[in-house]
Amino acid sequence: MKRRALWSTALIAPLALYGCGSAAGPDSGGGGGDTLVVWDWKSGDATAESYIGQAKADFAEKHPDVEVEFVAQPFDQYYNLLGTAIQSGEGPDVMLFNGGGQLRDRTDALLPLEDYLAEDMERLAGWEAFTADGHVYAAPVTLQGHPIYYNKALYEAAGLDPEAPADTWDAFVADCERLTEATGADCFALGNKEGIGIQFFLSGIGPGVLTPAEYDAWIAGERDWTAPGVQRIFELWVEAEQSGLNNDGVNSTAMFNDEFAIFDAGEAAHVIGLMSDVGHWKDFGEFLGAENVGVMPAPLVNPEAAPSLPYDGGIGYGVAEWTEDPELAADLVRSLSSTKALEAFYADAGAIAADTTIDASGAGPATAAIVAELPTGKPALHVALSAETLELMGRLSQQLLSGSVTVEDALSQLAESDQAG
Amino acid sequence: MPTTATPLRTPVRARSGTPTPRRRVRSGRGAAGTSRSERLAPYLLVAPAVLIIGVFRLYPLALGVNFSFTGDGERNGQAVGLDNYTVLFDDPLFIASMRNVGLLVLLLPVAVAIPGLLATFIYLRVPGHRVYRSVYFFPAVLSPVIIGAIFNLLLAFDGPANALLGAVGLGPVDWLGDPDVAMYAVVGVHIWATFGMALVVFLAGFATLDASLIDAARVDGASLPKVVRHVIVPGLSRTIQFVVVTTMIGMLTSMFGLLYVMTGGGPEGSTYLPEYYIWFQQGQMGRPALASAASTVLFGVMLVVGLAQIAVLRRAGRED
Repeated sequence: MKRRALWSTALIAPLALYGCGSAAGPDSGGGGGDTLVVWDWKSGDATAESYIGQAKADFAEKHPDVEVEFVAQPFDQYYNLLGTAIQSGEGPDVMLFNGGGQLRDRTDALLPLEDYLAEDMERLAGWEAFTADGHVYAAPVTLQGHPIYYNKALYEAAGLDPEAPADTWDAFVADCERLTEATGADCFALGNKEGIGIQFFLSGIGPGVLTPAEYDAWIAGERDWTAPGVQRIFELWVEAEQSGLNNDGVNSTAMFNDEFAIFDAGEAAHVIGLMSDVGHWKDFGEFLGAENVGVMPAPLVNPEAAPSLPYDGGIGYGVAEWTEDPELAADLVRSLSSTKALEAFYADAGAIAADTTIDASGAGPATAAIVAELPTGKPALHVALSAETLELMGRLSQQLLSGSVTVEDALSQLAESDQAG
Repeated sequence: MPTTATPLRTPVRARSGTPTPRRRVRSGRGAAGTSRSERLAPYLLVAPAVLIIGVFRLYPLALGVNFSFTGDGERNGQAVGLDNYTVLFDDPLFIASMRNVGLLVLLLPVAVAIPGLLATFIYLRVPGHRVYRSVYFFPAVLSPVIIGAIFNLLLAFDGPANALLGAVGLGPVDWLGDPDVAMYAVVGVHIWATFGMALVVFLAGFATLDASLIDAARVDGASLPKVVRHVIVPGLSRTIQFVVVTTMIGMLTSMFGLLYVMTGGGPEGSTYLPEYYIWFQQGQMGRPALASAASTVLFGVMLVVGLAQIAVLRRAGRED
């Protein structure tokens, strides 16, 4: 009897604490005095060595007595680790972020930087992805975007003009039929195991569907999920699968890096890739030859659309809200996005750097095409969505492919999630 | 309970009664001082264990339950009542993960029968049983990450498994991309990876089996299925129960690595398990309070499952 009472006490005890304290920990300060700690997933890469070296040298010139410690975290665990650090209120002073949802979800833990970075505003591009509620929370290092890459060698083998890819969706589908007939290659390399394929599709194909006004409204946050254009994009996602444009087993193919491997191997003629880091012009060029990698604008689905290159700030460094000396940390962020450092990053890591003063014309036709499009480019459609909506969209996109949800139903769920977030 | 309580109570009664002469002889000081230190001694001795359990088990548990009643993000630190639980049971992902727990329970007999059958064959000395004994155990030494990576390749849409199906004229199966198949594929791989341990336990159980019983059954003309049904299974009842309990715990608590590597919870969220959901909400979505609520629900489920298993074991123990 006594033992039972003891157990009940132990089990009921938590209720006495009902709803006090917080799961995310108190907001307390952290970080060392004359050491700045930086978290990222880049500094461990051999290709980023010269970039980090340049940035450190630049910072050492300004603050010779401050030590900078780079802690490279594994990328697939990065936001988990960062989340834990943020909850404990103790972590790095400066941290790397992907632009968009990942950053916007964590602005509580970040310092607004617009006052410190005023001088860099002109030189760097891609600020929108690091801006939330009118404040800038990180300085862009690379630009990330979603060009449609195509394999020029396959175009030639199919008797198509590799310099004049289709500019309307119907012509594009006709070209794909010829490509598959002549070379056996699929039209699109697509991997949606992680549920990211739909994000690339939305941003890659969307500019050919939405009118410029619809596009701008979407980015500005006035998203009408019931608009015919938006519905058309998701219908195309389903149609492309049903008419056999994609490789087999889309939902069990990982985008990183099986999808890109299919394109690398010449087994698909097109892929909606990235501009920086992986799955981009440099990777593809290594397998297919830089001269065989082309970049085409989104084929027109709606004649009123005016396709532009979808891109944003890719990755950027932000400053933790709990850092002891914000100005010092902001100075480090400036060094990490200095022209010299970014030049090294572009050259060694194959990233389209955020610095518009870097000359990138010597790296093949795909790079030239991307850089030429930068001035007219717009933020990518999916980057405007919250992490939660993106996660839901990933799941729904898999359901759309397997036919277990209709486009209308998927869009109404997305609209609900988007409005809640 | 009453049967075990009787022997325990006897010494307690002797102590609380009048002091025995033996004790008075051993103690030089007053009887009061002795009885106090003697009364405190057991508490002192169990104190380290109680402290460790209290500080590292019960206190965090209490904190976790407590946090499940607080909010996330802007409502961080505010008491929100049962909001997290409402969100939880409205979330199709969480419902799917609980449904998958049910599926695991349903698949438990399969997970126990496979090592049981194979161990029976080894015990009955099928040709090559020595080789099989080590081969069966081999996957148990591999980490889930490695196993997941291997099966990712094998079960890829254009992988060897589908090539084999194609060779015998069957259409390809999207093992990890079809929501109706993926969970079975992952559970299958989990069973393949872990049945070696249960097999060893079964073999140990067989070692205690009385061989003369089987011989007697054979002399009486019992067929193999009858020997298994009427001699081997009853003789191994304790072993089977042990394997059921450990396999259940293994399925509920150590599938994370495989899920992470093989499906990442997909496709369509069909392979979520509660622990994966907790990790996802805590780290990926930055919602620790919601994750605490999910943890609390998982704790409740494990408590029910654990108590049920203890009850079954206790009843079986009494039968012996």
